[in-house]
Amino acid sequence: MSASIPRAARAQRGVVLFTLLALGCTITLLLPVAWMATMMVKPEAEMFARPTVWLFEPTLAHFEYVLEAGFLSSLATSLVVAGASTALVVLIGTPAAYAFARFEMWRRDDMFLFILATRMAPPVALVIPLYLIYAKVGLLDTHLGLILAYLTFNLSFYVWVLRSFCRDVPVELEEAALIEGYPRWQVLLKITLPMLRPGIVSSAVLSFIFAWNEFLYAFMLGGRTVKTLPVAIPTLITAQGVKWGEVAIVGISALLPVLLVVFTLQRYIVRGLTLGAVKG
Amino acid sequence: MASILNSESLARDARTTPSRRRTKGSHFGYLLIAPTMITLVVVGLVPFLYAIYISLHDVPYGRVGEFTGLSNYRALLWDGRFWHSVWVALVFVGIAVPIEFVLGMLGALVLNQKIKLRGVIVPMLFVPTMMAPIVVALLWKIMLAGSWGLISYNVLERLKIVSETSVFGSADLALYALILIDVWQWTPFMIIAFYAGLQALPLNPYRAAQVDGASPLQMFVRITLPLMMPLMAVMVLLRIIDAFKVFDTIFLLTGGGPGNATESPSMLGYKLVFEFWKLGEASAFAVIIWVLFFVFCNVFYQIAKNRLKAF
Amino acid sequence: MIGSVHWKFAAAASVLSTTLLMLTSGPVGAWSYKEAAQPYAGTTITILDEVTPLQEAMKKLVAKFTAETGIKVNYELLSHPEVISKGQADMLSGRGAYDAVMLHSPQMGLLLSAKVLRPIDTYLANSKLTNPDLDSADFIDPGSSTLAKFGANTYGFLTWNYNQVYWARGDLLNHPEEKAAFKAKYGYDLAPAATLEQMRDIAAFFTRAKGAKLAGETLSSDFYGIVLEGIRGGTTFWSVWNNFIRNWGGDLFDAEGKPTFDRPENVAAVQFWADLWKSSPPGQAEYSLIDVPTVMGNGIAAQTIAWSDFVLGIDTPKASKLHGKFVYAGIPPKVGQTARRQAETEPSLVAISTHSRAPEATYLFLQWMVDKATQKDLIGSLGGGVPVRNSSWGLPQIKDSPNASLFKAMSESLRHGYAKPRAAKLYEIADVAGAILQDIATGKITAAAGMKAAQEKVLGICQKCFLTAGN
Repeated sequence: MSASIPRAARAQRGVVLFTLLALGCTITLLLPVAWMATMMVKPEAEMFARPTVWLFEPTLAHFEYVLEAGFLSSLATSLVVAGASTALVVLIGTPAAYAFARFEMWRRDDMFLFILATRMAPPVALVIPLYLIYAKVGLLDTHLGLILAYLTFNLSFYVWVLRSFCRDVPVELEEAALIEGYPRWQVLLKITLPMLRPGIVSSAVLSFIFAWNEFLYAFMLGGRTVKTLPVAIPTLITAQGVKWGEVAIVGISALLPVLLVVFTLQRYIVRGLTLGAVKG
Repeated sequence: MASILNSESLARDARTTPSRRRTKGSHFGYLLIAPTMITLVVVGLVPFLYAIYISLHDVPYGRVGEFTGLSNYRALLWDGRFWHSVWVALVFVGIAVPIEFVLGMLGALVLNQKIKLRGVIVPMLFVPTMMAPIVVALLWKIMLAGSWGLISYNVLERLKIVSETSVFGSADLALYALILIDVWQWTPFMIIAFYAGLQALPLNPYRAAQVDGASPLQMFVRITLPLMMPLMAVMVLLRIIDAFKVFDTIFLLTGGGPGNATESPSMLGYKLVFEFWKLGEASAFAVIIWVLFFVFCNVFYQIAKNRLKAF
Repeated sequence: MIGSVHWKFAAAASVLSTTLLMLTSGPVGAWSYKEAAQPYAGTTITILDEVTPLQEAMKKLVAKFTAETGIKVNYELLSHPEVISKGQADMLSGRGAYDAVMLHSPQMGLLLSAKVLRPIDTYLANSKLTNPDLDSADFIDPGSSTLAKFGANTYGFLTWNYNQVYWARGDLLNHPEEKAAFKAKYGYDLAPAATLEQMRDIAAFFTRAKGAKLAGETLSSDFYGIVLEGIRGGTTFWSVWNNFIRNWGGDLFDAEGKPTFDRPENVAAVQFWADLWKSSPPGQAEYSLIDVPTVMGNGIAAQTIAWSDFVLGIDTPKASKLHGKFVYAGIPPKVGQTARRQAETEPSLVAISTHSRAPEATYLFLQWMVDKATQKDLIGSLGGGVPVRNSSWGLPQIKDSPNASLFKAMSESLRHGYAKPRAAKLYEIADVAGAILQDIATGKITAAAGMKAAQEKVLGICQKCFLTAGN
């Protein structure tokens, strides 16, 4: 009993220590981003002056160009394409990941490796065959075309990552439900999926980020009607130099939607109700 | 001693509990994987087969011409430049991925402690991974560009850490700078993935081990590591594949230079496609890289499965 | 020169045919875009161009064209590498999403040999389509004729006229103490470099370490005599070829397009260029054509060779504290130069794709882009810009510009600026040679050995590299 007080104190100290450590590392990691953020309102002449200008009078000049150049519509396109392709990935990838973890199947390992194989070839070299095919079937510059193209790398990623999460879901609960006579799909829906939620959410978030940031496919297969944010950014690298302030604005604001997604979904990643069912 | 033995057996139990047991004799599994397999055949396999077809032909100016057999492959495989780019990627992967893996695991373990402000730290930590690669490249140009970069000017040049050249301007340093950027961008990715993995681990083995009085280190080695093995293996494999294909930062920061010092396979592939329009060679390039990976992934998979029990 | 005679002849012929037509069909009203476009009103055309402030200003004028002609124009702007990759992909694959695509002169070889560009000669000769006031002879030569003409055909109008200029810090060159010290050391007056050798002397003279004095003030960081583009890719290779090698009387190919990289003149020129790196900032091997103006604007270096349209973006009160202190000149020649003087320029055109379904409407738009009236508007709205027509030099925004020395410099460079030779594999050659140039500049290999290696590598790419007309 007497040992419990120092232990609590030690635990308290541990919390503070680890919090400081995590916070310190995060802040260090973000310093370059913070510097870039200041460039959103930094006058052009002072951006790269020597010696470095640390204090300056903020300007809103860079925002004017960004609003004029129609980055908002690119933002919308990015949300649609990344959102839809992630939703599709979750929809068709989740059952597959589960099946690869649970069921004996003919040539299971080979099929599993085939899934990864679609992510192996370098996109720079595959984008032209894809372009030629898309040109023939009329998928160029369509939302659907880009969403499909993103499946090539995101579906494989999602299935592979989620499958390793499936291993952590205990079989006993499913078996108990099966014995009680529930149909298989109901067991999957009502018992397995809720327990898989941390895995699904984190794999989906990572897939979303891949889609959100993808450049090459978006550039070659998209175009005028389907122009995502990463494709809109290079137009800021103009012949009169990089529009650094504008790059900072677009780059930082492109973070916000993803940040919002992570912020709202993170509670599903953290152990919570999901594992309550396994207790005992 | 008894308690260690005890926790060992528990850990073994933990290892075998969930998925070593597999359900047999059901068509349900095929039904579940069918949508994924069909989708990947359509969007993944078809373009790839088309690439193989192109790679066996002469493709002057983007039009598939005469069948030329393996001559596109020969052109690449006999070219030192191709192998040099593979070497660049191997160095890149060989340094970047282990660092990202170790830092990622350490970061995840810290996050997994009882810490405060987690709701803020997790999303913020994720920022480097969330940034578009092209913005990441520009960001690091602002940091490391010779003479005018924030870090270059205020630290590296002032303290004479780098003189005579700049980081990206040096054939010896440029690749390591690119590795640093990769580590900056992708370590958070590993942290979040591992953190989610830690959070999803079953609690029972830990409770039992705690009852047995196992130390945190013992629990980590005997329970956490084996249980995390599947996710670790997958993340490392995926990161190896992605890091090997590094492109955006190189394209913007060094263009593959100085000389050929940072010309990765993707950089070379980009030139083959978009600058030289050698589509036959570019397709052969895609196929060769694919084969290299396929062999590598198979070996990795077998080792991970049989030795590390990761699959 | 022969090219320009052709041009004048073509212009004369078109004027003549217009006159003949007017005679035969009786008196008609003055030519107008509205009338010429009548059959095509309502058509939509899509044009791919490069995003620079020049094109952004052009984009704002496009509505005028549509208002007058009823032809709708999607005027799409992408960044430099994207215009090349996407424009070429579109034309070479036959997709035909673009009716016309902006092409830099090094791209011409590939696209001409792929036969995806539609010549405009029939339209030029068509008096219904071609403005009698087009005045083809007014386009700035030799860039225009070496760019647009190939064999018997014409592939477009000179639309953008990028060019490199010599750019220096006037405040330093005019500083009395510096002038005196320079004269004492080199025996002639310090002034903007009139020759490449003077540029070298000035570079060496102004390269000073932190703590030394520069124009009477103590330097808080190192200062460099010159800054040049040095990155792999970019325009480093073209700049070395035209500004140095050509001015040394050398060339990378003979008249028939056979590689001659290892000529002694070439080696001497490359050596001279590599020696300039001793007076350059340490990061030069990573400096792109965008970094160079940034560095000049920051006041790190005394002189440079840079793209003049980039200068327009830096030499403004908003972008640089040194605004008003810069001086400009054309690319300096070599002392005692006997060879043809040359400056690196990048004349560009917008070419009609053979896949275009509305070539006439597209032609009208391309013609409108370079029309005297449009050019006047464009230069007016930019308060300057880069002229494609000789008549533009006389416009008030240029003639009376506070930055008059920049426009004089452009005009001088453009007088010696030629389009790149038509070679289908020019980018591949540039890539191979670019890597070797970097190795030479960073001291990894000597100029002689490097150029020999380049010769061998380029011979592996092509033995006779130029296209021959009618092929």
